[in-house]
Amino acid sequence: MRERGSPLFRRHRPSWRAPVELLSFGLYFLCAVLLVLSRIGHGVIADARDGLVDLTAPLLEVASLPAIEARRAMERAQLYASAFKEVDRLKKENEELKQWEWRTKLLERKVSHLRSLLNAVEEPALVYATGRVIADARGPFVRSALINLGRHDGLRIGYAVINGDGLVGRTVDAGGSVARVLLLNDLNSRIPVLAGPAGLRGLASGDNSAELQLDFLPEGAALYAGDEVYTSGSDGVLPRGLRVGVVTGTPGAFKVRPYAELNSLDAVSVLFFDTPALTRADPPEAESAGALSAVPGDRTKTATASAALPVSVAVPAGGGQARAER
Amino acid sequence: MTKFLPALSVLFAVVATAVPWGLPADATFILPLVVVMMVFCWRIIPGAALPPAGAVGLGLLADLMSGGPLGYWALMCLVAATAGGRAGSFSKGRDLGVHWLIWTALVFALGGFGWLLASLYYFRWIDWWPIAFGALASIALFPVVLHGLLWIRHGRLGPDRSVIFRGGS
Repeated sequence: MRERGSPLFRRHRPSWRAPVELLSFGLYFLCAVLLVLSRIGHGVIADARDGLVDLTAPLLEVASLPAIEARRAMERAQLYASAFKEVDRLKKENEELKQWEWRTKLLERKVSHLRSLLNAVEEPALVYATGRVIADARGPFVRSALINLGRHDGLRIGYAVINGDGLVGRTVDAGGSVARVLLLNDLNSRIPVLAGPAGLRGLASGDNSAELQLDFLPEGAALYAGDEVYTSGSDGVLPRGLRVGVVTGTPGAFKVRPYAELNSLDAVSVLFFDTPALTRADPPEAESAGALSAVPGDRTKTATASAALPVSVAVPAGGGQARAER
Repeated sequence: MTKFLPALSVLFAVVATAVPWGLPADATFILPLVVVMMVFCWRIIPGAALPPAGAVGLGLLADLMSGGPLGYWALMCLVAATAGGRAGSFSKGRDLGVHWLIWTALVFALGGFGWLLASLYYFRWIDWWPIAFGALASIALFPVVLHGLLWIRHGRLGPDRSVIFRGGS
């Protein structure tokens, strides 16, 4: 006689949980596939993602307003708390700057005289536009920010992004009204720089921490903590002479502390600095490009006429496109 | 509307992760982990519906907004949803301490897994401190988030209070 309770003879009943577990397995598989496609930089994923980022940009812009206002209010409160100390510091700084102003005017006159003697070609001004950071994308993988400037503003991939303190990063995606800026300290960021008074060539690499690593310096480089670091322009993408930060650390393990406070970015300016490296990188099918693409709009034509090798760039007080002081 | 409360609350948290709060570099992992924690909490709250597919969708949105690889936070949310679904709900006589302990174990496992995945993605060792800091912060925040979600669900803590706290009124 059959034993009814024996597992051998128990009738197989399909579990109602089977579809749920299959779905769960499917979801895990989907995540793994997406990760792999993301890693290899599949075009479909990139296009879909860029389109969705452009769609969510208005929502992010609205959502970021309270956070920005709260941050400003906190900064203001801190400023009020140390107002007297700050006034003293600013007075001292103002005195020093007056000295520098006088010295700069002398040097400007001298440079102008030397340029006229050499019959040097005038450097046209650099065009730029100022926008606001609307989203902060920082995690284990990325240090980037979304700004409310896009192709409609004449922006293209690879442009340098600065704020009042110095270089912030460069654009890596550009949509119609929004662009993603890869910050200096991102793991994928590599900026060719000149360091110190001797202008030693090196590479400032991000590692997702607050400071950048300074690699590929010449053997026995005479660098000291506090030396200035600025862009060399040797990558053919960023203009030469943009302030990056100061040298920290010890010989053999030099680092760069960026001037720009990358954790609390607000207003930033995009420099429309077109180089052959950037224009060559543009895909040929300009019209069929996705929402975020490397191809800028018509307004870039004005930027294309802008010049190379600016010595310094002034950040405008207001928004919109403007021309930088050289 | 109550049916969509879990998804809506997590959606709100996902948007909050992308907002420029000006947090220091070490604290960048806290907000995304709060999203994962919310998924876990909604799965253990009895009667609340946040299916794994919904958790993946919200995780993908977090990936999209963070600019990181698609699938990373989706995978984290899916693991949290699976673990939450199997952890047992409050109605089964479990209390806050047990679920807090489960979350502690889960977040350390997720942190380690996330760190390995990130290192594998870049073929280099990623700084582990922000992940560890985020995990520790999320453990500290667990009761606060759970209470918040219970409040969202019921408008008050009343019926669940005795379940969360043993011997509570």
